[in-house]
Amino acid sequence: MSEVSVRSLTIEYQTSAGWLPAVADAWLDLRPGEITGLVGESGSGKSTLALALLNAVPAPGRIAAGTVELAGVGDVTRLTGKQLRKVRGGALGYVFQASQNSLNPLKTIGRQLLDLGRSHEVADLRALIARAKDLADRMGLDGDRVLDSYQHQLSGGMRQRVGIVFALVLNAKVLILDEPTTALDMLSQASVLDIVRKVHDENQLSTLIITHDIGAVSEIADRLAVMYGGRIVEDGPLLDVLRRPSHPYTRALIGATARIAGDVDAARALPGRPPDLTTVARVGCVFRDRCGFAVETCATVEPVLAAWEDGGRRRACHVEPSTVLSGASGTPAAVGEPA
Amino acid sequence: MTGFGRRLAGKLAMGLVMVWAVATFTFFLVRALPGNPGDVQYENYILMGMSPGQAQARVNAVYGFTSHEPLPRQYGGYLWQLAQGNLGQSTSYSGVPVAHIIGSALPWTVIPVLSGLIVSFLIGVAAGVVAAVKRSSRWGGLLSLSGSVVAGVPTFVVALLLLLVFHTEWHLLPFGGTSDYEAGWNAPYVGSVIEHAVLPVCTYALLSYGGWLLAMKSSVISVLGDDFILAAELRGITPVTRARYIGRNAILPLFTVLALSFGLMFGGSIFIENTFDYPGLGSLLLKAIGTRDYTLMSGAFLLITVAVIAANILADLCYTLIDPRVRR
Repeated sequence: MSEVSVRSLTIEYQTSAGWLPAVADAWLDLRPGEITGLVGESGSGKSTLALALLNAVPAPGRIAAGTVELAGVGDVTRLTGKQLRKVRGGALGYVFQASQNSLNPLKTIGRQLLDLGRSHEVADLRALIARAKDLADRMGLDGDRVLDSYQHQLSGGMRQRVGIVFALVLNAKVLILDEPTTALDMLSQASVLDIVRKVHDENQLSTLIITHDIGAVSEIADRLAVMYGGRIVEDGPLLDVLRRPSHPYTRALIGATARIAGDVDAARALPGRPPDLTTVARVGCVFRDRCGFAVETCATVEPVLAAWEDGGRRRACHVEPSTVLSGASGTPAAVGEPA
Repeated sequence: MTGFGRRLAGKLAMGLVMVWAVATFTFFLVRALPGNPGDVQYENYILMGMSPGQAQARVNAVYGFTSHEPLPRQYGGYLWQLAQGNLGQSTSYSGVPVAHIIGSALPWTVIPVLSGLIVSFLIGVAAGVVAAVKRSSRWGGLLSLSGSVVAGVPTFVVALLLLLVFHTEWHLLPFGGTSDYEAGWNAPYVGSVIEHAVLPVCTYALLSYGGWLLAMKSSVISVLGDDFILAAELRGITPVTRARYIGRNAILPLFTVLALSFGLMFGGSIFIENTFDYPGLGSLLLKAIGTRDYTLMSGAFLLITVAVIAANILADLCYTLIDPRVRR
C-alpha cells in the first residue's frame, strides 16, 4: 500500500503563450520503507512535482489535473486552509536545499520549533522539544546547543540536518528532500545521505529525494524515477534501472556521469539542451530531438509511461526496450540542437 | 554582555571624535560667513538714522565682549569652554548663555519632530506592508503612488498648503507661537499647545511618510521572496506567525533610517518652524544666522550634530539587540 499515490498529475504554468504544462500526466508511488530518487536536469519539473505533493505549487502555477492521495488523509490537491496547513509539516515533511536559508534568521532554532508546535496545536511542547533534541542527537548534532543557536551559527551540513529535524519532529510519515546534497562538500554529502538513510529506516518513512545528481541518489535510493521535459520517462528498482536503462534519456544520463575509477573521457555529455516550458515539444515525444533512437512515431505520438517487464519497471518510449538496452543506434542525438 | 559594553564604549568614543570634528568645522565655518555681528548691528543703527560715529560707539558698547583675539586662540578657548559644557554667550541676546537659549527652544523642536516621526513611521510602515502584500491590486498601486507623490512634494509646499487650508480657509487651527495662554499645567494651556503643534507635526509626518511607505514596501517584498518564508509555509506555520516572521525581518533595515531621519528632521525644522512661526530650534538658528550670532549658531549646529550622532549610536545598539547576526 502506498503512502503517497500520484495519479495523472498535470501542473501548468501561466506564460505569455498561455497555460503550459510543467509536469504532464505524472504517476508516482511512495511506499513505506522505500526511498525513491527523482532525477532530472534543471527545469525538468522535478521540484514542481515535489511541491505539488504538498499542494504548494507557487503562482503562476496550478494543478490542472490529477490527484495526490495521501494515506489516511485523502486527496491533498483538494485540501485548503487549515486542513492543508496541518498536512504540511504534519504528515508531509519537506526539507530544503542546504544552501537555502530555510529558517528565520532572527529566532533561535528552539523558538522556531515552538512556533511549529503551536501552529500544529501540539499540546505537550516540552515533549516536542525533547523529541527534536533526540532527533538532532541521533543525527550527530548536539541537540541542546543547536536549539539555542541561530541559523547563521550553523554550517551547511548542520542546517540540512536541522531541516530534517523540522520535517520529522511532528512524526511525518513522508519525507521529501529537495536537492539534499547540493551545495555541500563531498564529506558532508556522504554524512547527510547516511543520516537520511538512518532516519528513514528508523521511522519506516516514505522518502522522496529530488536531485540532479544521479551518483548521490544511487548511494541510498531503492527506486529511481527519471524526469525529462515534465514527464516521468522511466522508473523502477534503482539497481535494475542503473544496470539496464531502458529509456534513451536514462541511458544518456548514466552515460554522462563520470566515475571516480575509470577514464573521465568515458563520460559523454548529452548533446543539445534540455527544453523549458516554452520550447518543450507539444506533440510527440519530448526527448525525440536529442534521441539517437528516434523513430517516425516519436514525432507524432507521445509515448505513455507503461509497465514493460516484471519487477516494477515502467518506461515511456516507442522504441523497443531491447533496442535501447543493446544500444544498437549507438551514441545519442544524431540530430543537432533543437530549435 | 561584556561585548555589548565594549561596543557601547567604542561607539561613544567614536561619537566624541565626531562631535569634536563637527564642532571644529562649524566654529570656522560660521566665522567664515561674510560680515560680523558688529557690522550687522552697525548697519541697523545707520538705517535707524544714527550718524556713523554714534553707531560705532553704540556697537562698541553692545558688543564690547565680542572677542577680537586671533582665531586660533578663540578656537582654543572655545574648545576649553566646550569641554566644560559651556557653549558661550549669545551676542544677539546680550550676553545670555547660549545653553540657556537653546535649552528653552529645544523642546519646541524635539517634541514636534519626534511626534511627527513616530506618527509617520507607524502609518508609513503599516501602509508599506499593505502596499507590498496587495502590490498587484489597484489599492496597493494607489497606496504606493501616494507614497511617491507625498515624498516628492517639497517641505515648504506641504507646510504652506496645510496653513492655507486649515488656518486661513477653514479657521480650524491656530498659527504662530506655541500657545495662546500663560504656561502652566492646566487644560487650556495644554490644549492650546496641542492645537498649535498639530500643523507642524502633520508637516513633519507628511514629509517622511512616503519614505517609510516605499522603504517598507520594498523591504517586505524582498522578505516575501526569502526561502525561509516559503519553508515556514511548507511546515504549516499559521498565517499570523508567518506575518510576524515577515514583519520583524522587513522592519530591521528601517531602524537605521529612522535614526538618520531624526537628524534630517532637525534640519527640516528650519523651514517648517519658519513657515508656522513656531519658536523652536530652527527659528532660533535662522535668527542667529541673520544677526551673525556666532556662538548661538555654533551651539545650535553642535546640538543638531550631537542629536544625529546620539540617534545613530542608539540605532546601532538597538540593532545589536534585535538582530542576532550583528551580535558578537
